[in-house]
Amino acid sequence: MIFRRFLTHGALLTICSALLLLSVESALGQWSIPDELQAQASVLNDEQIEFITSGAIIKYIPERQLEHELATRDANSMRSLIDDLMSLADKMGYDPERDMGAAPLNLTSKSFNAAMPTLVPLRDFERESGPFSVHRYLFPKTGIPTFGGADVAIWPEDLVAGNVDVAIVGVPSNSSSGRRDARNGPNQMRGLNTIAMTDVQSLLKPFETLSVVDYGDFGVDRLSTERTVIHVAAMVAETAGTGAIPMLVGGDTSMLYPGVSGVARVHGNGSFGLLHFSAHPDVERNGDHTNSDRQALFLLLDEGIVEGSETIQVGLRGPAVDADTLEWLRDKGVRYHTMAEFRQRGSETVMQRVLQEVDRGPVAYFVSIDVSVVNPTEMVAAGRATYNGLRIEEVTQAIRHACAVKEIVGFEITDMAPMLDYSRLSVMHANAVLNACLVGIAVRKAGLDPDYVHPLALDHGQR
Amino acid sequence: MTFDSIEIRAVLLFLVAVAAPVAWAQNERPVTQEHVVGEQAYPFDTVDPREEDKPPIELPDSVASKLELLTPEQIEFLKSDDARAFTGPAEEAVEALEERSPEEVKTWVEAMQQVVEQRRYTEGRDLPNIPFNTESPDFNAWRLLRPRSMDPEREAGPVALGRYSEGGGPPTFGGFPLALSKEDLVAGEVDVAILGAPLNMGSGWRDSGERATVDLRLHGQAMGGEDQYVQINASEVMTVVDYGDVAVDNDSTERSMRHVREIVREIAETGAVPMIVGGDHSLEYPNVAALADVYGKEMVSVIHFDSHYDAWWGGTHLINHGYPVYRLINEGHIRAADYIQVGLRSSGPDKAGFNWMREQGMRYHTMAEIERRGWDAVLDRVVAEASEEGRKLHISFDIDVLDPAFTVATGTPVPGGLTMREAIAIVRRLCAESNVVGFDLVELHPALDPTYRTTLNSVHIIKACLTGLAMNKEELTEEHYLSPLSSEHAIDDYYGDQQQHLDATKAEEEKEEEKKEE
Repeated sequence: MIFRRFLTHGALLTICSALLLLSVESALGQWSIPDELQAQASVLNDEQIEFITSGAIIKYIPERQLEHELATRDANSMRSLIDDLMSLADKMGYDPERDMGAAPLNLTSKSFNAAMPTLVPLRDFERESGPFSVHRYLFPKTGIPTFGGADVAIWPEDLVAGNVDVAIVGVPSNSSSGRRDARNGPNQMRGLNTIAMTDVQSLLKPFETLSVVDYGDFGVDRLSTERTVIHVAAMVAETAGTGAIPMLVGGDTSMLYPGVSGVARVHGNGSFGLLHFSAHPDVERNGDHTNSDRQALFLLLDEGIVEGSETIQVGLRGPAVDADTLEWLRDKGVRYHTMAEFRQRGSETVMQRVLQEVDRGPVAYFVSIDVSVVNPTEMVAAGRATYNGLRIEEVTQAIRHACAVKEIVGFEITDMAPMLDYSRLSVMHANAVLNACLVGIAVRKAGLDPDYVHPLALDHGQR
Repeated sequence: MTFDSIEIRAVLLFLVAVAAPVAWAQNERPVTQEHVVGEQAYPFDTVDPREEDKPPIELPDSVASKLELLTPEQIEFLKSDDARAFTGPAEEAVEALEERSPEEVKTWVEAMQQVVEQRRYTEGRDLPNIPFNTESPDFNAWRLLRPRSMDPEREAGPVALGRYSEGGGPPTFGGFPLALSKEDLVAGEVDVAILGAPLNMGSGWRDSGERATVDLRLHGQAMGGEDQYVQINASEVMTVVDYGDVAVDNDSTERSMRHVREIVREIAETGAVPMIVGGDHSLEYPNVAALADVYGKEMVSVIHFDSHYDAWWGGTHLINHGYPVYRLINEGHIRAADYIQVGLRSSGPDKAGFNWMREQGMRYHTMAEIERRGWDAVLDRVVAEASEEGRKLHISFDIDVLDPAFTVATGTPVPGGLTMREAIAIVRRLCAESNVVGFDLVELHPALDPTYRTTLNSVHIIKACLTGLAMNKEELTEEHYLSPLSSEHAIDDYYGDQQQHLDATKAEEEKEEEKKEE
């Protein structure tokens, strides 16, 4: 009795979910068979017709092709094509008895949680808290590479003791949907000492205005973005909690999610805007993973960590920018600026619009850049390089302004894959972007006008 | 009688528990232990016998006063192997204790215990797995096969993509024709199917994805050419096809394994030799498991060319490019004693690893052995071992076995490796003289080499095996066969065996004549 009831119950469930699925599919879009092809379609059975007219079929075969097949195939061949496509549709979704729903892990591993900061009693040596130099000389030229030659901090206590304004930290994740070498981004950027020099516009030296440290790297699990996200978000929150601004150096763009959500744990969901430069929208809605670069912004918006209306996207182009995606972004209230807008209206006009939007936006911002936004001529080492992008100077000027005009709660640069650029020009440009924000923060702290130009820098003053 | 009674409830619960698996079992889809479905845990043992705890250390009476605030369990812990990671060996532990007050010792030990505990998996606190988004309507989009009915009808069999008899058209491995399904392999009586596997997750540098399989096609013309050493053209003797690329999920190696295994199995089931090329060495696991599916558990031997032994284990994940050997053995596909390792020289394994190999009967040939005995001796030994009892053999060729001078574009290069001259000879000989049923070439990361040199060298390793397989088919399986014509001009008797070469050449010519007449 009970056995039968169990089965019946199961069958009922299946029917219900099938009905539900059908209704969802027809809601997605219908497709009416053109009049001149009605005769050809009449050889199909009701189920097959339903599969076509519900529009479910369009996921598997373009409309143009479907019309061609209907017009040219004989009855048998058409039936078998539709059957094959229907059987594909059956296999598309998850089946817990057929598909792996979660990748198992080694639960007996002694190092299951590998990235674990050393506890105080286990640290090798004692020192007073605070940032410290890694150099022997007072005016070092070379030595241990750190971001901009900055002092090093290891623990949150160091940030607090040093009253640190900005903590630059590497997040060497290496997933990405494109070419993969972002893990080497942080060290390559340390290795090219081109940040925090005198800014030619304001003539400020960022390290004289700000307390900046190299905060080392956060641990990553290279075989799982999902596990990395958990650890990095916690570390970002801990860093932001000391009052320092985390400047994160990726790593691939899947680290955008823990970067922004980690900061939000301290400042609050929806408490700051997001200014995001990228060729890629990264709002994949139906991804089969729970976290990836393709889903980074989708998750941030979907979970309400940032508000769509306070999100600005600059530089969109490339394979994932389709009508559905733009429509979704528009519905979310996102202010997006595609390369089409830049070409049509001119770079200067659009950047002015972007900066106006920032000016009118919330008090605080998280600024992030996936280096793919830059044209590959100046950033060939982008993990997901896409042609016809912005010039590096356009990007750095915009970032500099935003970082000067708003309270910055976090900054992140992602997806530079150094191996793709033997000249290391991409590294220099990545540093230029990071530097632009650093200078902006310094300008603001110095109490200068965001776009202040030092008169000495502007004009030689000779007659 | 009401359902309120506890007994009745218990009976109901029991019945449901019994009925549920029965209902599951009625499902037609086979659920083998090999494949994790749903959110199942890994069905095999995960404890690594090599990680057995070392015996506890003794603590001298001189430090007894330092331990007075510790509980007996904490003292036990301090003596245990777990604490050695923090204190160092016994002498250092004693020294460290002497430096600390009893209070400091207590905080110190507590911290160690905390780390050991936090590093291990704890139910409820840690995710036992990496969940996928099972809600996705496109969950399986990455591996759905294109139905044959979507394209114009054609006869089953390999398809040449070129317009001319010389080839041309979209590049395929070696310019070989394309096959996309088992029917194509069967209809074409295919001998070798080369399968691109763009797995890009588990390796040091991550460029072994699409770039690797594509570049092997762009620069792969030489795969199918005439071989001067043995005067054989593999493409004339065998039917070789490009079997396209296998779909992988480069956000999860674990998830990719089953599908790779299914496609490799599909090839092997037709009797063709699967040659899997490109991606990271995690692939050895599904490749060899697929051969075991077809030829039987513990029926295949593997020769693993690599600077690393790839039998590591014990991390959070169950597969990456350092684990395939251990996982294959752990799951019972292959016996450790049927493994031969050639070219090892990376910083690990340590003594425990070597002892384990020795105890398991795994035959390892390190670069240290080659330094001691010389290449020729090791070559003969390896080929003899690989050909024992005519066992079926899979060759897993990680290009980092070669010296980085030849293959700089690899995930984890290690200097001091084989030369191309050595590698070509051993691969050709193995494919000719042993019973090779599978081959893979992995860990090509083209971005690291702007000259294409690594790709071209990889192509020539593949060619060496194709040539060997062709020799095997032609029954040229004698020890270290080389063409008597191309390997000796025989114009004089410099080596004292001029006549031998002249006779052998003549005999081969007569044989060819006979063949032609047939």
